[in-house]
Amino acid sequence: MVMTYFVFFLGVCFVFGALAVASNPSPYYGVVGLVLGSVVGCGWLMSLGVSFISLVLFMVYLGGMLVVFVYSVALAADPFPEAWGNWRVVGCGVGLILLLFVGVVIGGGVGCLSLGVGTVDSGGVVSVRLDFSGVSMFYFYGVGMFFVAGWGLLLTLFVVLELVRGLSRGAIRAV
Amino acid sequence: MSLMCLSYCSAFTLSSLGLTLHRTHLISALLCLESMMLSMYIALSVLPTENQAASLTLTPILMLTFSACEAGTGLAMLVASTRTHGSDHLHNLNLLQC
Repeated sequence: MVMTYFVFFLGVCFVFGALAVASNPSPYYGVVGLVLGSVVGCGWLMSLGVSFISLVLFMVYLGGMLVVFVYSVALAADPFPEAWGNWRVVGCGVGLILLLFVGVVIGGGVGCLSLGVGTVDSGGVVSVRLDFSGVSMFYFYGVGMFFVAGWGLLLTLFVVLELVRGLSRGAIRAV
Repeated sequence: MSLMCLSYCSAFTLSSLGLTLHRTHLISALLCLESMMLSMYIALSVLPTENQAASLTLTPILMLTFSACEAGTGLAMLVASTRTHGSDHLHNLNLLQC
């Protein structure tokens, strides 16, 4: 029963991470909220047992995409960056939390809240974990989508190259 | 609704509200989009775990792929608008203003 409360605590920290991004501080501090949310999300998924999905999140999301975001945040330099001690950011955060409470109360969620932590176990005849066997289906049953995703990634490379090209051949840049 | 479902649903709602409300930087909007993608990833991962459906486990992987494409494109537009306007402040993007 203790682990259930630990997973519940991770769920609460996930909401706080999202709140830290949504209250729109200076982007240096917004990335901190995103890193906190993804680390807590990884811990949540690992506590449920799906370790492969959690590792994919860690490596691809936190180690790939967020590192690129942190480097790009250098473009958004403020002379006086606003952290969460600033009154505007605190006001945004409190307002968002109040809006969320109003939404949950009106939506009738207060009466029917259960804890709801379900874990993974090996199912079927072969004792393979759920997430490993599921993702490996991507390469056989989902091979069409696999090729579509790979083609989309390749296409994105060329899209990015075209967007940042400049000097009278580019789409967006004026100089 | 279980409390865990409320957790990632409210994270998604908070991030989408942060995307719509006023801010100074374009990259804050991109960070809110990334937070929405993260909460959707968690939701798509918890669903097969609770229902013990193994083949649904590939949906978060697929979603992460397309989310990476979208993040890359968003950052490319950020770089392009910064090199044109000098900063990524949203009040500079006023071409359609009368």
